[in-house]
Amino acid sequence: MSGPVEGEAAAPPAVTPQAPNDPAAPAKTDPKETKPADDGASKKPSGAELKKLKQLEKQAKRAQAKAIVPPATQQGGPPKENQKQREQKQSQKKDESRPLPIRRRPSQSNAVPQQQAKKESTRGQKNLGLFFGHLYSQPRQHSMVGASKDVHPAVLALGLQYSSYVICGSTARMVAMLLAFKAVIESYQTPVGTSLARHLTNHHLSPQIDYLRSCRPLSISMGNAIRWLKDLIIKIDPSTPEAEAKRDLVEEIDMFIRERVTAAQKLIRDQAATKILPGDVILTYASSSIVEQTLLQAHKAGVPFTVIVVDSKPLFEGKTLARKLANQGITVRYYLITGASHAVKDASKVFLGAHAMMSNGRLYSRVGTALVSMLARSHSLPVLVLCESVKFTEKVALDSIVGNEVAPASEILSEAERASLLPLEPHLPATHPSKNKAEDKHAADDAKSGPLDVIKWVEGSDNLHHLQVLYDVTPAEYINMVITEYGSLPPSSVPVVHRLSTNT
Amino acid sequence: MSVHTPTADKPLPDFDIVSTYRSILAGDAELTMPVAAIEALVEAIAHSSVSTVAETLALLEHHTAVLKAEIANPISLSAGTDLFQRYLITTLNRPAALNLAPGDDFRAIRNHLLSNGRLFVDRAKQSREKIASFGKHFIRDGATVLTNGGSRVVGALLRRAAESSTMRFRVVYVLSGSESSDTIEGDQIVADLRAHNVPVATVPDSAVAYSLGEVDMVIVGAEGVVENGGIISRLGTYQMGLLAKSKGKPFYVVAESHKFVRLYPLSQFDLPIEQKVLEFRVADDTKGTASKPSEDEGFFDMHGAKPKCSGVNAHDAVDFTPPDLISGIITESGVLTPSAVSEELIKIWF
Repeated sequence: MSGPVEGEAAAPPAVTPQAPNDPAAPAKTDPKETKPADDGASKKPSGAELKKLKQLEKQAKRAQAKAIVPPATQQGGPPKENQKQREQKQSQKKDESRPLPIRRRPSQSNAVPQQQAKKESTRGQKNLGLFFGHLYSQPRQHSMVGASKDVHPAVLALGLQYSSYVICGSTARMVAMLLAFKAVIESYQTPVGTSLARHLTNHHLSPQIDYLRSCRPLSISMGNAIRWLKDLIIKIDPSTPEAEAKRDLVEEIDMFIRERVTAAQKLIRDQAATKILPGDVILTYASSSIVEQTLLQAHKAGVPFTVIVVDSKPLFEGKTLARKLANQGITVRYYLITGASHAVKDASKVFLGAHAMMSNGRLYSRVGTALVSMLARSHSLPVLVLCESVKFTEKVALDSIVGNEVAPASEILSEAERASLLPLEPHLPATHPSKNKAEDKHAADDAKSGPLDVIKWVEGSDNLHHLQVLYDVTPAEYINMVITEYGSLPPSSVPVVHRLSTNT
Repeated sequence: MSVHTPTADKPLPDFDIVSTYRSILAGDAELTMPVAAIEALVEAIAHSSVSTVAETLALLEHHTAVLKAEIANPISLSAGTDLFQRYLITTLNRPAALNLAPGDDFRAIRNHLLSNGRLFVDRAKQSREKIASFGKHFIRDGATVLTNGGSRVVGALLRRAAESSTMRFRVVYVLSGSESSDTIEGDQIVADLRAHNVPVATVPDSAVAYSLGEVDMVIVGAEGVVENGGIISRLGTYQMGLLAKSKGKPFYVVAESHKFVRLYPLSQFDLPIEQKVLEFRVADDTKGTASKPSEDEGFFDMHGAKPKCSGVNAHDAVDFTPPDLISGIITESGVLTPSAVSEELIKIWF
């Protein structure tokens, strides 16, 4: 954090509108804003005089930078917000200094992780038109930098698996979380002067949950499981010896997974498989583990049927499903959602997985599900939703705008697609900030603009936004049946079963 | 009681559930299938010498299976047997609820069961009158009611409405020409209503759409009310529902709550019974090809379908009316929306 960084920032023309992304960013922060830790860091090697000198230097540079930055980039975002973002960038910067091995998302190239987070923070500056601005409140974290020191290593690892979609799917995420919490509980020691029931939830479990939330918003099922676990912990008798309480908790977690997931899935697939009749053509969207289990069970039972998998950007989860089913000998047709209207014509039933079932009977599931169910409805195909009751929620959703999850927009464009857009570079408007930057680069080290720059073009432009929501809401009218471990229900019975499953 | 059921592992008493069921049904014209089934099961337990909980349940399961296998259309019947079985399981698992001391032997539990089982049957019989008193308020003065089939609940409701002097209403009664038990029952209701000075017009199935313009509301009975709130009823009810919906006429279903059955059909061809309605044939092909699900419903074959144990011929065939066509279900515990049926069923089962 000293010599070379300062030197780089000293080259004035490099401080362009993109400057905040520059590694020199901390250099521009106010002395007041500077975190004490940073002060300490600079103090150690140089001493008080050196520090003062540096501060003077910094101030001079800041004035310079301010003069150069065109007002256009300052639009939107009150100063307070800017300050926050700067702080975030600071932490990101630290990240750069010691890169971590992170598993990549499919659409991600090598250098993306840090930049992504930065981009998300700059996002806030842009006027996010449409209705989705409120979903960008929390930038997603793709590293364990900045995590509280209380966060357990198992949870740290899990968070990275969430943000990179290695563990994906509402149920899988919930189970993985509970398993990680088992490790957390096992290694937990109640501090002196407090009791497990009081300390564990608020002071030990909460940081873990906060960290997981920063990696990817919690799923409904995770929320339900957390509520259940907290309730369980609070009810522990304070006189119980710690070892015993911990053992009980771990056992309870195992039981929860066994009852609410493993056994529930068995019941659901047993029941759902009977709905697959010989000659049926089952249409499914994206990928759901319970739908997959059901199809395989029916196939093993010898029912002759075929499957149509409809899939879409950006996760292409259906590819995996189609491959698995085909490997088991089921005839599978694979469509992208653009061909869904054709796919629906050939299908006889629609099986869908769920992220959550809302109390007004609506289905909250992977974006695109509503489209497929609407098509199915218009062809009067029965739409069956397979969902464990642990994914039921008392929340209601009227549309997919108020509550949703926004994934990093850059995932919309795959590596190949970015590369194919590169030849368009000469068409960028001359005032475009990234164009300037590219020129700078050419001048400086003759670097060729890579696929990553395409994202920057979009980020830099004022009137083009990426929007990638992960879920949508399917109206209850499009759903004929919800199969749960409590039996088959009409969507209107979701609140009844939810009450039943939370009270008992 | 003559037929001995040869079971290999368990020596079950020789009790002919099917003939008992038939004689109960024949003995009391007011009885519905589920209630008759429950009564037959109570009888079966009374005749047996079961001495443990497990034995009782095994006996019940055996008789239920036999009964379901022997009766051509066990949907309505299974509502009763399932309900009774559920009731037994809950009471047997919680002997404390019976106010029995732990020292009491199984005989006491059994006697309690038997008396309660009979109570169950009595209550089920009374429910029809209760429904009639609820449902008659749905008929307004000057209304014209469309109905079909030979449902006794609908008959009771219309009679009750006719008896009240404040209401004048007319009835359009859909009667198919065939000689099924439904038609006989229907003729009886029509005669009764006419005796009560209610103007009744009888029309064939094909005249439903034609007469709908004159009709203010539709009331139908049901063999079974399924979990999503739809009903299983005499063939032709579905088309009445579709037509009523398209003309914006309210479509009410009258059914006792013991007809609620844990079944969830997705379509007409998703019923657990085999129906000989769609039989595709060509000339000089005597053995009709098996019925194949098809979008076209209008075709049905009246002759040639020999009454067999499995398979229901066209006279007695049923169809499934989906819940979105139904305005309300009138039961003895109140008037429910279709979506409340599942709630009621969950209450019974969990």
